[in-house]
Amino acid sequence: MANRTLAICRQAPYGSALAREGLEAVLAAAAMDQSPELLFVNDGVFQLLDGQEPAAIEQKSLQRNLQALPMFGVETLHVCKLSLSQRGIDPAQLQITGAEIVLVVDVGKFIAGFDIALNF
Amino acid sequence: MPRPAGHFTIWQSMKFSLAVYGAPHASQSAATALRFARALLAAGHELYRVFFYCDGVHNGSALSAPPQDEADIAEGWQALQRAHKLDLVVCIAAAQRRGVLNSSEANRLEKPAANLAEGFELAGLGQLADAAVNSDRLITFGQ
Repeated sequence: MANRTLAICRQAPYGSALAREGLEAVLAAAAMDQSPELLFVNDGVFQLLDGQEPAAIEQKSLQRNLQALPMFGVETLHVCKLSLSQRGIDPAQLQITGAEIVLVVDVGKFIAGFDIALNF
Repeated sequence: MPRPAGHFTIWQSMKFSLAVYGAPHASQSAATALRFARALLAAGHELYRVFFYCDGVHNGSALSAPPQDEADIAEGWQALQRAHKLDLVVCIAAAQRRGVLNSSEANRLEKPAANLAEGFELAGLGQLADAAVNSDRLITFGQ
């Protein structure tokens, strides 16, 4: 497909189902060779924090979904720099095995470079 | 003539798809999506698919029974589906989590009842990816 697809992840990992179901939709699109790019913005940046222990609240970890992304050709995770600094997160705290984290400064311009946006 | 609408340009006839994440009667999301669907069809555009995901799967429940003085959103989708032969797709994985099943799924999962409303069908997430690439615009109605 010539279309460039961006999936925008905006939700914290366990507060709503949308974080998990968004990643499931991304994996489905990637499995169909659509290989969307990913942008984590607002509370979505919390999805990438290292050292999550969701078992304590009887939740499955999102890390497994995130770590599956490189296997489907999604090797770069774009992260909004402003969202990180607003939440006091150091980029060094973000860690997804097999994926490269790239900070985005001008999010609007970045999004405008895509034909399709999937919002989660 | 194309006309500007916020950040978008609306061309004379475009192919739309909608992604609906909100349950009816819980947030404005589903009601706005339904009104948007009616408006775009009335304006002569094409509605390629409506994909119900997350809590949006409850739009496809045949068992919702809102009070008579409130809009019946599920019935609204069904009426639009009948009039325009719409493709109303409920995500099967999200629906299983939330208890929206057709009869074959209810049998397969050994559940006591099926409740997917007429006019809706269960299908996989591939239908969302397909809608994204085959539509001029994919509009998301959040939670």
